[in-house]
Amino acid sequence: MRNTWLIIKREYLERVRTRTFLALTLLAPALMTVLMVLPVKLATMGERIQHVVVVTSTPQFGEIVRQRLLSANSAASDSDDEVGSETNADKPASDKQYIIDVDSNPTEAERAVLRGKVASQAIDGYLWLSDDAIADGKVTWASRNMAGFAERSRLSGELNRIIQYARLSRNGFTGDQADLVLKPVKVEAIRIERGQETKDSSGKKLLEVVVMVMLIYMAVLLYGISVMRSVLEEKNSRVMEVLLSSATSTELMIGKIFGVGAVGLTQIVVWAVMAGVFALPSLAMSVDLSQLQVSPGVLVAFAGFFLLGYLLFSALYAAIGAITTTEQEGQQLQFIIVIPLVISVFMLNSAVKTPDAPAVVWLSMVPFLSPVLMYARIVIQTPPLWQIALSLFLLIATIAGLLALCARIYRVGILIYGKRATLPEILKWLKYAKT
Amino acid sequence: MSPGSERTPVVVNTVELANVRKSYDDFVAVDNLSLRIQPGRIYGLLGPNGAGKTSTLRMIIGIIVPDSGQVFVLGEPLSRTHTDRFGYLPEERGLYKKMKVLAHLVLLAQLKGLTSGEASKRAHHWCERFELTAWIDKKVEELSKGMQQKVQFIGAILHDPELIVMDEPFSGLDPASALALKDALLELAKNGKTILLSTHRMDQAERLCQSICLINRGRAVLEGDLDQIKANYGHCSVQIKYDGDAGFLHVPTLVQSFNDYGNYVEVRLMPGADTQELLQKACSKARLDRFEVMQPSLEEIFIEAVSKPNA
Repeated sequence: MRNTWLIIKREYLERVRTRTFLALTLLAPALMTVLMVLPVKLATMGERIQHVVVVTSTPQFGEIVRQRLLSANSAASDSDDEVGSETNADKPASDKQYIIDVDSNPTEAERAVLRGKVASQAIDGYLWLSDDAIADGKVTWASRNMAGFAERSRLSGELNRIIQYARLSRNGFTGDQADLVLKPVKVEAIRIERGQETKDSSGKKLLEVVVMVMLIYMAVLLYGISVMRSVLEEKNSRVMEVLLSSATSTELMIGKIFGVGAVGLTQIVVWAVMAGVFALPSLAMSVDLSQLQVSPGVLVAFAGFFLLGYLLFSALYAAIGAITTTEQEGQQLQFIIVIPLVISVFMLNSAVKTPDAPAVVWLSMVPFLSPVLMYARIVIQTPPLWQIALSLFLLIATIAGLLALCARIYRVGILIYGKRATLPEILKWLKYAKT
Repeated sequence: MSPGSERTPVVVNTVELANVRKSYDDFVAVDNLSLRIQPGRIYGLLGPNGAGKTSTLRMIIGIIVPDSGQVFVLGEPLSRTHTDRFGYLPEERGLYKKMKVLAHLVLLAQLKGLTSGEASKRAHHWCERFELTAWIDKKVEELSKGMQQKVQFIGAILHDPELIVMDEPFSGLDPASALALKDALLELAKNGKTILLSTHRMDQAERLCQSICLINRGRAVLEGDLDQIKANYGHCSVQIKYDGDAGFLHVPTLVQSFNDYGNYVEVRLMPGADTQELLQKACSKARLDRFEVMQPSLEEIFIEAVSKPNA
């Protein structure tokens, strides 16, 4: 216990005191922000004003189309995530600028002229709304580039409404009546939890799960690998043998995993606080903060499964460090760790959609998958208590077993320099290490 | 000493190996090795490279476990409870390069159960002795190799262990540092510590050790008190400067051969012959200016021992 604590303290302090740690902790959020903002800025920077021609026989109708398209564009950012919502004028306009002209001469000759203009870049595209096209419900958008999926679905959504509106008014509906008919229906998801209705949007649920998966991924790949690296460093600097004359390999390994783990947690906490200080005020302006509240149960599940998952994968990393001699070799073996992570991400979709499906239920018991899958199930729909308990029990038992096993590999592996161990050798080590 | 031992004041061996064997795959590193190390002695584990010295030392401090046989420490079977009473200096030296010297020494001592205050006090004392005081707040990587070795040595003895195990402690040290290390070891031995060191340099062991174990290919070739081993070696030679009757040179039970150098004769004794008997014989017939028993060097003994067909 004394030794474990000393090793934890050393690992923690020696890491936290370095300049690298300070720099990474402070600069990573800045870098992250830049990485997220920059591509968007770059993508919009190059965009010129789009010049579009709407071709239709009646100028009044053309004018309506022009107005709707312009206002729809200014609300584009909003209409992406909530299908069928009403256009919202007070949302900030997207950066994309449009000039829309109306052309009331839908003839083949005019079409040829427009085609030439598009080719010569005088205009960027035209929308063919001849009477025939409207009657057939088949309009054409012609441009040099194929329109993107989002752009096309937005366009077709808008045109649908415009044309439905036109058909209704042609058949004697007043504007108000037409609005009433066309008023979109919005589906609101309600979740029943212990007989109570909770107004949780599935999007938020998914977010809670995805945040977990991302954190596990990040923690495992970032800090797990530093567990491996630090084992290798000790092996290569030969300090191991001195330590082993004072502490057991189990103490050394547990100390290392917890020490490096605490460094990772420190970093995550610092980042969370920074995010809270800098990002939340601006977030609070656009989103209702009460929606962001996570239930305490989910928080506990999150903390528990995150820490246990991290422990599990770190122990594996330590073992990889013990059986290899260089970082390159270690990285070749990383697939042992990455595969379960990838499988759990593959299963995530099913876990969120059908948390009760037998496959999901049983896979969420499997220790290497449970940190992600059982957590996802808890977030989506609280599973029976015995399932959570069994999953936790299996996870903890596996961690304990793995720690014991890894400590043995470690004990023999750390004294073997110069070559990577083969599987039969590792099995033999497990035998050697018996006391 | 335990209370039940009043009848016979048996000295409990600090370390005892009983038929210890360790093999890696097909390679037998240590084969049926037995040895006894008495308290307060400097004990040398000698042998050529690859003889099994390091494996033996690692088994004594419990880093590796023998396949068969037993290790006793202070009269009890070796267990984790003994580790705080050992100090170990491995052959492959290693320290955390980014740690500061003082912090590193304190860590090593804390792992052996010292408080950080006491560890720091002792670290300062020892660093002063080894002229490292100016470096105490420097990172280990800033030190020269020789200085790092000194730091490592201090780390091994800071907790005042009863048994100090050192694997090739002098390798890579410059003469001045080697001298400082030797003095420190002698002082520790004088204070009742037991010191076990391995070396492949016979001359070093000869100067420093009271007892030795010569091992070759994992087996003990010779073990015990150094003087005894030399005495038992049999081939002993004596340099005699005399005046008078040379009859004692012709006693066939004592003298195997002699070589007259003019100023003195060098006499090679028969195996097992007693030098005192020769001295008496010489005294009675001639006047002696010098009678010096020349001890065989360990190197000679080793080479002879391993060249025996059954060794």
